[in-house]
Amino acid sequence: MTEHTTERTAPASLELEAISKVYGVTRAIDEINAQVPAGEVTVIVGPSGAGKTTLLRIISGLDTPTTGRVLFDGSPIKGVPDGLAMVFQDYSRSLFPWMRVEDNVAFPLRRGVEKAERRRRVLEALQAVGLEGKERLYPWQMSGGMQQRVAIARALACHPRLLVMDEPYASVDAQTRAELEDLLLEIQTRLNVTVLVVTHDIDESVYLADNIIVMSKAPSTVQEVIRVGLARPRDQIATKEEPEFVHARAHVLRLLRGEAEPEAATPDDTLEVGV
Amino acid sequence: MSAITRDRAVRPAPSAVSRRIRRAGSSAILPLVVPALLVALWWWGSESAVNGLFIAPPRDVLDRTLSDFLSPHPGDLFLGEVARHDLVPSLWRAALGFWLAVVVGVGLGIVLGLRPVLAALFQPLVHLGRSLPTPALIGVFFLLFGTGDWPKVLLIAFGVVWPILFNTIDGVQGIGTARAHVASVFKIPSRDVLLRIVLPGAAPKIFAGVRVALSLSLIMMVISELQKAKNGLGYLLVYSQRNFDYPGFWTVLVVLAVVGIVLNVIMIQIERRVLAWHRGVTAQHD
Ligand SMILES: Nc1ncnc2c1ncn2[C@@H]1O[C@H](COP(=O)(O)OP(=O)(O)OP(=O)(O)O)[C@@H](O)[C@H]1O
Ligand SMILES: [Mg+2]
Repeated sequence: MTEHTTERTAPASLELEAISKVYGVTRAIDEINAQVPAGEVTVIVGPSGAGKTTLLRIISGLDTPTTGRVLFDGSPIKGVPDGLAMVFQDYSRSLFPWMRVEDNVAFPLRRGVEKAERRRRVLEALQAVGLEGKERLYPWQMSGGMQQRVAIARALACHPRLLVMDEPYASVDAQTRAELEDLLLEIQTRLNVTVLVVTHDIDESVYLADNIIVMSKAPSTVQEVIRVGLARPRDQIATKEEPEFVHARAHVLRLLRGEAEPEAATPDDTLEVGV
Repeated sequence: MSAITRDRAVRPAPSAVSRRIRRAGSSAILPLVVPALLVALWWWGSESAVNGLFIAPPRDVLDRTLSDFLSPHPGDLFLGEVARHDLVPSLWRAALGFWLAVVVGVGLGIVLGLRPVLAALFQPLVHLGRSLPTPALIGVFFLLFGTGDWPKVLLIAFGVVWPILFNTIDGVQGIGTARAHVASVFKIPSRDVLLRIVLPGAAPKIFAGVRVALSLSLIMMVISELQKAKNGLGYLLVYSQRNFDYPGFWTVLVVLAVVGIVLNVIMIQIERRVLAWHRGVTAQHD
């Protein structure tokens, strides 16, 4: 599996500088300053309506901020940055039901990647998500979890330097969710890619994250950035029993409920970012 | 669980099989019942003293249809004289008009569907066009385009384009922003967006419109030939009636029915292929 890393470029970093977003008279995002370090998993949590989806849309160039800017590897983005790939929440609408799995995964590669290489990348990506042999199926012949794997494979086939996911596991069952969480961590380490995930699930945020960005409710700001130092590879049972996991989870929950003042979550390695 | 196995063991297998055969048999026979009744009614009408003058007996009509529309000569592609003189030109014009409508309806529908501003701009015009009764425009078309094949072709196209246009706009608008976001994030070239996202995404709706347009095009075909025509099935309807050739008149109706049925079967087959995925998706969500 080492051949992946040789042809991939380095993971990308993101900086969000004083991002705000106003929709008409609603101020969705007040001011967001944050870092997404290269090669790490950063998780965004926040109350519903905090503007998480909006923020991801801005980061991926689908929308423009009212003020502020996004730096992708240090330079301001114009449109969708090269090297960014996205996994959408609703696989049933993000995959194309009229294409077979292989064509869905190959679709973004049709421009600029020649056929044999395209084929190679599709198989490689499907293998990475554990779907080898399923390339001739249609998405609607698969379970929800498998479809979301296809969506992940499609993103991976682009050899992204930044993988952005908006509540990617919100519509799969708990067992599948756990599998896909482990899959994501494994892929992230193996392919050395920067990952930015939005989730509603606090356990998931701590389990996946190197950094958690906790957003306040709209008009939103960054309440706190929590550094999670849990060892990798993580384990669905053992990791979740560790004191740091338990502590971090409680802290995120208190922040979201507005019960905790932003403070050092884990005594030794918390990274405070000015709000 | 055990109840099921017990039930299965107790149930005598032959009866289940024979029931299935009976069901398959009845599903093949059922659709034929009403047509058979219609033919019987037709025959009964042709026997009656008064109507019998105008209603040719089914048997005569069948004989006449076969002799008029079929030929034993391979050189004529087995087409009888009337088929060559009237059926082929009719179908040719209908096909041309229909395809013109498909191209214009789908093309324009995609443009309007993708551009809400244009759609709003042209909406009154489109509604006007749709609500004009096309047969009433027949004179205008002859005035504008002379008396050859073109006014007929264009009349057919104009008459059937609306369901295609409306359905295409509807289908394109229904594709949704999620798919648009996928296209932008993955930087899909606009050609692929058009041919591999927009067109297939709108295809179920487009096909619904095209199916309506197909049967409508046969109607428009006949209407366009009722006046200022030298050939065609519509012309033949008028001509045979004027010459009190009632069996000839009825053959045209038979041929129209056959053509309609054949086209519909072809359409269903194409749709079954192209929209296999759509049936899969709908089946999954049921
Ligand atoms: N296109 C839009 N036009 C107007 N208002 C919008 C638009 N998109 C989002 N908003 C508003 O901006 C705010 C943030 O929405 P957003 O979808 O980003 O929240 P979110 O954090 O992703 O919520 P959730 O957790 O429920 O997904 C909401 O108040 C929403 O109503
Ligand atoms: Mg959201």
